Amino acid sequence: MLKRLIFLRGAEVIAFVLLGLIPLWVSNSYALGLLTLLAIYGILLIGLDVTVGYLGQVNLAQAAFLGLGAYAAGVCVTLFGFGIFSALAVSMLIGLTLGALLAFPALRLEGPQFALATLSFSALSTTVLNEWEGLTGGAQGLSLNRPAFFGHAVDAPGFYWLCLILLAVVWMAMRNLLSSQWGRAFEALRDSPIATDAMGVGTYRHKVAGFAFGSSLGGLAGGLYAFNFQYLQPQSFTYDLMVILLLGVVLGGRKSLWGAFFGASLIVLLPNLLSNRLLFEIVAALGLLLALVVGLRSWLSKHQLQFQAVAPIIAMGMLVIGGFMVENTENWRKAIFALMLFSVVVGLPDGIMGFVARYLTQLFRIAPPALPQASTLDSVLPAKASDGAILLELQNLKRYFGGVKAVDDVSMQVHSGAVHGLIGPNGSGKSTAVNVISGLYAPTEGKVLLHGKLLPSGSLFKVARAGVSRTFQNLQLFGELSALDNVMLALKDAYRVPLPLVLLGLAKSEEICAQSDALALLQLVGLEKQARVHAKDLTYGSQRFLEIARALARKPELLILDEPAAGLAHPDVSVLVAIIKSIKQRGTTIILIEHHMDVVSELCDTVTVVDGGKIIAAGTPEEVKRDLKVIKAYLGVADEAPLQA
Amino acid sequence: MKKTLLAALLFAAAPSFAADVIKIALTGPFSGGSAPMGTSMRDGAKLAISEINAAGGISVAGKKKKIEIVERDDEGKNERGALIGQELASMADLSGVIGSVNTGVVLAGDKHLQEKGITKIITPAAGSASMTQWSKAGAKDVSIFRFAAHDGIQSAMVVEEAINQKFTKVAVVHDATNYGVSGRDDLLEQIKKQGNKLEVVTTEKFNIGDKDMTSQLLSAKSKGAQAILIWGIGPELAAISNGMAKLEMKIPLIGGWTLSMSNYIDNAGKNSNGTMMPQTFIEEPITPKIKSFIEGYHKTYNVTRIPSPVSAAQGYDAVYIFAAAIKQAQSDDTHKIKEALEDLHDPVKGVIATWKHPFSKWDPTNEQTHEAFHREDTVMGKIVDGHVTFANEADRQRLIKNASK
Amino acid sequence: MNSLIIAQMAVSGALMGLVYALIAYGFQLTFATSKSINFGQGELVMLSAFFSLTLLNLGAPYWLMIPGGLLFGVVMGLVVERACVRLTLEQKSEGWILLTIIFGLLGFSAAENIWGRDDRPFPSPISSDALHILGINVTPVEISVAIGVFAVMGVIELFKRKTLLGKAFEAVSADRDAAELMGISATHTIMLSYGLSGMVAAMAGILISPITTVGPTMASALILKAFSVAVVAGLDSGFGVVVIGILIGVLESLTSYYLGSGWRETPGLLLLILALAIRPNGVFGKVSIRKV
Repeated sequence: MLKRLIFLRGAEVIAFVLLGLIPLWVSNSYALGLLTLLAIYGILLIGLDVTVGYLGQVNLAQAAFLGLGAYAAGVCVTLFGFGIFSALAVSMLIGLTLGALLAFPALRLEGPQFALATLSFSALSTTVLNEWEGLTGGAQGLSLNRPAFFGHAVDAPGFYWLCLILLAVVWMAMRNLLSSQWGRAFEALRDSPIATDAMGVGTYRHKVAGFAFGSSLGGLAGGLYAFNFQYLQPQSFTYDLMVILLLGVVLGGRKSLWGAFFGASLIVLLPNLLSNRLLFEIVAALGLLLALVVGLRSWLSKHQLQFQAVAPIIAMGMLVIGGFMVENTENWRKAIFALMLFSVVVGLPDGIMGFVARYLTQLFRIAPPALPQASTLDSVLPAKASDGAILLELQNLKRYFGGVKAVDDVSMQVHSGAVHGLIGPNGSGKSTAVNVISGLYAPTEGKVLLHGKLLPSGSLFKVARAGVSRTFQNLQLFGELSALDNVMLALKDAYRVPLPLVLLGLAKSEEICAQSDALALLQLVGLEKQARVHAKDLTYGSQRFLEIARALARKPELLILDEPAAGLAHPDVSVLVAIIKSIKQRGTTIILIEHHMDVVSELCDTVTVVDGGKIIAAGTPEEVKRDLKVIKAYLGVADEAPLQA
Repeated sequence: MKKTLLAALLFAAAPSFAADVIKIALTGPFSGGSAPMGTSMRDGAKLAISEINAAGGISVAGKKKKIEIVERDDEGKNERGALIGQELASMADLSGVIGSVNTGVVLAGDKHLQEKGITKIITPAAGSASMTQWSKAGAKDVSIFRFAAHDGIQSAMVVEEAINQKFTKVAVVHDATNYGVSGRDDLLEQIKKQGNKLEVVTTEKFNIGDKDMTSQLLSAKSKGAQAILIWGIGPELAAISNGMAKLEMKIPLIGGWTLSMSNYIDNAGKNSNGTMMPQTFIEEPITPKIKSFIEGYHKTYNVTRIPSPVSAAQGYDAVYIFAAAIKQAQSDDTHKIKEALEDLHDPVKGVIATWKHPFSKWDPTNEQTHEAFHREDTVMGKIVDGHVTFANEADRQRLIKNASK
Repeated sequence: MNSLIIAQMAVSGALMGLVYALIAYGFQLTFATSKSINFGQGELVMLSAFFSLTLLNLGAPYWLMIPGGLLFGVVMGLVVERACVRLTLEQKSEGWILLTIIFGLLGFSAAENIWGRDDRPFPSPISSDALHILGINVTPVEISVAIGVFAVMGVIELFKRKTLLGKAFEAVSADRDAAELMGISATHTIMLSYGLSGMVAAMAGILISPITTVGPTMASALILKAFSVAVVAGLDSGFGVVVIGILIGVLESLTSYYLGSGWRETPGLLLLILALAIRPNGVFGKVSIRKV
């Protein structure tokens, strides 16, 4: 515990204290200018990392938010005579508001479309800043003076300390955010947006919130930028700067505060590196050496030349050779930057900090903090008395895809406390039916009622919130999260601390409660020993069980298990049956889609058989097995023999 | 990571050990959109420096010292300009700075130099604000000088020319950058100053990178403009000329000195004929000094035409003026050089002119004291068959006469 | 008079719109097969233009320069695919966005240093003296751009529909996994699409250079418009880019005339945000179904 504290927090404390002390023994105004810029860019890149790293989207609007924040501060100070902190607050607010406004339409998009949407936003904001001459001074720029701080003029070291303190605050707030449910949600929605919605976490709202938060940091950095340079022009915040920022994040290392910090120092120091020939040659040679070492190691372990290993060597080789041939390295600044970035993105996809961190953790082997005692299952999943009333009702449900009638006029009832089997041959429409119930698809026609009330249609998130939880036929786990985090993410009603307090680090106690509850569910499926294992590293069977535990964390009224036994080895199937039985004992209603007839016979109270989108039989498992239509559907011929498992 | 940071800081802060050189910084955009001006200025200045060094350097207190160049590319970006300003301001042994093309970069960076009293000669940035910022702020003493025909002079000449040609309706067209917008304001002010004899029928703007100027030109055409007064840089100006040809607008284009740059003349081709702009230097070998400068430039940089002759000539002359100040001060101390610049005794023979007392003691109410160029140092140029020449033969004769004095 | 002015602006705007459309079409080609696009496409346009100009300066005749320039575009497209796209597609990451941006940066810097930072004229055998058609002034060079745009897109669309290779292209676009099961190599098809996209970029460079001049920044403004056009139309919209390209081009001209030239860019950008809010997959794009 102590070791962990020293290594993880110690480095941060030392770094910030050292940075804070520099002005006391260095009076060089240039060095101070660079350090101030480093702190400002640190804040900016931490904000950018929220979208680029955690949300996994390429965001090309951060430079625009920097500019909007800078102008907001500038206008507040010159026109309305704001103080330094109120101006910074306005900058942040502008970033937050415009970020949210952009995020609403843009985050419905993925990948390139999102990147292009943010790019267009940047262009639009530059146009507005340029054209609104009355407010911004247009292309001629806006000159401003750094406002006084409680009557004291802020000198260069003072302003540097202000920036550094704000960086430290942002740093801590970000760490608190990331170690809360928010951080888990960010990781989760990148791995599987569908499952994030299905666990009632709301992919879209977390994305919007995350983007707006990152933009607000952009705005804050903008305010500081304005007070640092004291002269603003719209053309400073265009695509060129954006590319540099983006590459700073990637080079430093995504999803890492240290990465953002390192990226910021690279951006700030790179021009110096190029203006000193010797330094440049040393760095280029070191880069080539690193690429060679990494490449050699990969060749020795895999005995084949991989693109990841070869390409950086070629790129760094070009840099070294070019360094000797080119007369003026300043002229080739962009190319040099590009070659270095190319090597990092290809060879070290986690960035330089990610690479370093991997070796450091191997070196020091820091144990994760101990887990709390598991809660009792009764407190997490209280047993319910089932009254046998109708819980779920489908009324003439239809879902068509073009001309394909995947679900065609299905009506059925699921009774509270029952395990209701839904079976049918491949392509019969059972998966589509549960996809409609769980909200992935909106029905073409018909109704889905829970407790006699209409379920929201076409929204996994709303249906999950209404009390329906599900697993997926093709696993939709959050691979990068631990088993424990997978369950914690889905825990219903566990997180009540509002965001501002989360940022202040006041959500620790509810985190520990959530851990205990999640452990109880992991015990239920026999995974408590693997709580810290990443979901993607679990065995296939364990992954299936983890999905069930995760779905249970929603404390659902209705649990939908979509082919939970698919692909399971025989011993695992028995474990699965035991798990489902114990869930049933606690009174949770289950819809079970399954192919294994023995599993169905053993577990189900009622079975509905669908084929061609229509119900062809319903009854107890025994009745259904003897149904001629069912036998025909499964075997394709009329046969008197009862269906064998 | 800490190490790289510290290493870079140390490198930046480490004083140079060679004390028998004079360190002069050349700054400007050497990459990006305004690079043709930045590199021409730099190369012109380097030409002068290599001539001085080849002659053994400048004798300071009995010792010949060579000039060492500190080159910084500001990329035309304000932020880089500010950082470079800080960097240069913290170099203990720097004698001075020559350069800057973009007014925004000047506004962002020069305050750091002024703070430390580092002497700088701005060239070829022409935006009025570069110098008026100091008179507006009421600075008691200023270490910044300008060696370029500022926009105030240029816009006055452009408006004068339009009035002389008996136009009454003009369109003002400018690019959306700092340069273009402040040029527009200068033009409108000059029109007022010179008695409102011109009616501005429309004010149109274009962005850097725009290729199609049809709507701006149609607006000018439909409103009956007889001439287009233009402020912008480079290829977009050519797009205007070509667009005018397409729309068969046979009205003259008069604008800032940047119309003499090769990226306008080449790209507008025959459509550039007749375009007029104020010039401080015209690439015509009318005197032996100019001839050797032009030939030297062509040979050293392996070109057949200087991308921006004005920038190159101003860079060249600025170095000689600076060297004269060092010689007069008998010191490489930047503060002493500043004082010498404010009161240069001996005339300096340059390619543009023979400079007699180009600057005088700073007067907080009049920034002209630190401006080298005045109306009479500037001539109207005109493009004829792809070359800039004197619009008025009288100017050519005057310059030849002055040079032979 | 007034309607003539509007017509003149509409024609000029539409011509620029066609150029946006051609560049946007290059995005579509690669998006169809690989769901990726080259963010350095503008630099590809620029590099191809410089290369073609060099061919001309070396004395190549105009009609030989065109295939040379196109070949260069194809090669560059393949380089982009190999160096920037293939690996990240294998990793199912979006690293290609960054890598293609980086490629653009490298290309830009190389062009600045190899060919200089200045814009240069691009000689063309086609005259740029204005013709009068129904009172509207158009230059033959502009007409050649319009013809060229339709010719390139037409030829590629025909190729996709009529040849075996083209059908493989369509198959991978429709369903990559199914196509692979049928023995069509998705990797080769993606290479093909990047080669074609590079060729389209080169064609765009050769077509517009006589109008725009050749310089390192020649395409940086165009490419932003092309992005807008591609997204508004939808990245799988086929000829939809032409409609949207012309629409945005004309809107730009008219806005500039009526609202003031500073606001020229705004309609395209607003249209983009509007389109995203209402039809995220583009006006002509296909609506995709989520699968689990």
